[in-house]
Order: sequence, then structure tokens, then C-alpha cells
Amino acid sequence: MAEDLVLDTAIRDWVLIPLSVVMVLIGILRYFVSKLMRSNQVPDAKIVKEGQVVIRARNLRAAANFIPFKSFRARRVYFSNEENGLLFVPKGQAQNPQAQMFSDPNMAMDMMKKNLSMIIPQTLTFAWVNFFFSGFVAAKIPFPLTQRFRSMLQNGIDLSTVDVSYVSSRSWYFLNLFGLRGLFSLILGEENATDDTQRMMQMSGFGFDASKSLSAEKDGLDIVQHEWALPKFEQRAEAVLRRLVG
Amino acid sequence: MAGNGVSGASGKKSSDMNDLPTFSAEKLQSNMKVIYYSRTFLSIIGGVIAGILGFTGLTGFILYFLVMAVTSVGLIAKARFSVHSYFDCWNRVILDGFVSGLMSFVLFWTFAYDIVHIF
Repeated sequence: MAEDLVLDTAIRDWVLIPLSVVMVLIGILRYFVSKLMRSNQVPDAKIVKEGQVVIRARNLRAAANFIPFKSFRARRVYFSNEENGLLFVPKGQAQNPQAQMFSDPNMAMDMMKKNLSMIIPQTLTFAWVNFFFSGFVAAKIPFPLTQRFRSMLQNGIDLSTVDVSYVSSRSWYFLNLFGLRGLFSLILGEENATDDTQRMMQMSGFGFDASKSLSAEKDGLDIVQHEWALPKFEQRAEAVLRRLVG
Repeated sequence: MAGNGVSGASGKKSSDMNDLPTFSAEKLQSNMKVIYYSRTFLSIIGGVIAGILGFTGLTGFILYFLVMAVTSVGLIAKARFSVHSYFDCWNRVILDGFVSGLMSFVLFWTFAYDIVHIF
């Protein structure tokens, strides 16, 4: 716990503000670059069809209670019978998504582009910050923290006597990187915020497995307990009317 | 705080057992998005205010809680105090976007505080 450090105003004018502005501008640039690079490939008809079937089955499951039991049973058989139901995936025909990816180079290419558009600007910015602004205190967070945060906030300064709430410029970069996400979702719209998470999902899962979601939907449809809502609706209407009248 | 998605949800608790949850998922999602936007926006504004006023330590976080509480009240007022016809449960209005807003709040708080007070 040393006494307060006096920071040069030049640090504010030439490090703190430029760094934040550059981070925001790079975020915007990245958004537009990835938008330009996104190849609008024609989606595979089979995949679209499977997705639509899943959506239809989900709608049926959600609205099951609004149709008579007979109609519901007919629809369920249409979706999930074992011979030619729409949700039924024959064994062995389920395609491995990894194999699918290798057979289709476009998919891998697209994913690589997406990853590159994320990694390259980050690496460049980090190198820029490291080269110009390394090794001094740039900011101070307005609340006290424990010693554990030292490695997080004073990345690049090896002094154990400086108070933990002083932030080195490299760590200010990291704070910006994580904290500006909210601002980006405000100025660039929802698309940007979801894009990152989707990218994460794609990186971990390598696309989604259509046959798996089909069979999951089939199981869900099979265990639906049907209970027709219409007989009770008279009582419900009666209650509403009574409340209106009374 | 545009309550553009008026969901046709009738999740009102009636006295009988016949309360079927009838939600329109898209409308519900749109409402959630409105909550997220208003929270993010207000946490950024709150952070700048806290920084300019020079709050440090606990007072800043108290300001954050106050801002979030005001947001919740505003959202509930926007929903004309019938939360259940717009959202499926109370926690959505009160807790959603709380943690993600905190990060933006801390960043802008630090930024404004440093610019105004430190140098």
C-alpha cells in the first residue's frame, strides 16, 4: 500500500483514450469485415428440410392440447412411426458431422474464415498494445481489490508495492476486450453478440447433428401426454365472463 | 425501453386448474431482448455517471444496484404492472442481464473516473 501515484496527463491523452477508441473501432471493423466475408452459400436442401420437420414437430408438441386426441394421434403417427415417419432416422444412415465436414471443403473454409476474422485483429491489437504501451500504469480502478487480482490487473508490471487497483495498459486492453461486449451489442445490434457465442459453439461442436435432433424430437413427441383443452375452456370462458359481469 | 413485443401470453393465474401456458416464444424473446438492451444501456450510462461523480469503492456498486432497481421498476411500469402477460416469470424482469451489465458498468466507471479524477 503505497501512497497515491501521480499519473501523467499525457498517459490519459495518448494511451487511455486512444486505446479505448481503437478497441471500439476495431470491434466495428471486425463486424463489417466478417459481414463481408460471410459467403452466402446455398443451404443444403436436406438440412433445411430436416430443420423444418423439427420445427413442425415442436409446434405440434407445444400445441398438442388444442386439438382432439384423434387428430393428435394421427399427426404423431405421421411424424414418428417406425417405417416412414418424418422424424424416423434409419440406423446407419445418420451422417457423422465430422465426416460431412471433410467431404465438404466449403464448410471448413467458412469456419476458418470466421476464426481468422476473430483471431487476426485480436493478435494485431495485442501486439500493438504490447509494443507501444507496455510496462507502465495506465489507469486506476475506483474500488479496492485483493492481491489475487494482481496478475490480472498488472500484467506487465513486476512491482509488488504498487496498489492492486492500478491497472497496467496491457490489462486495460483485456478489460476493454471483455467489457465492451455490451456496448457492441448496443451499437451493432443483437447479431454481433450472438455471433460470438455461435462461433464458440461451432468451434466446439463442429456443426450440429441433424439426425440427433430428429430422434430427440421423436422421443419428445412419443412421451407427450395428451389432454384436450377444449372441455375445460367452457369453464374458463364462464369464469372470465363472470368476472366481467360481476 | 420500447415494449414493442406485446406477447399474447395469457399466463394469468386463474382460480381453476385450467391455466395452460400459452406463450408465443418469439414475442417472449423479443421482450427479453428489450430487457437486455435497456439494462446494458443503463449500466453504461450509470458507469459514466458514477465515474464523473467520483464514486469509489462500495458507493459505486450501490449506485449500480440503484440503477438496476430503477430499471426493473421502469420495465415493470412499462409492462403496466402486469408482468405475467409479458414475461413468464418475475426473475426475468429483475435479474436478467444483471451480471453482463456489471462488466460494462465497471469498465465505463473506471474510464470516466480515470479521465476526470486520476490525472
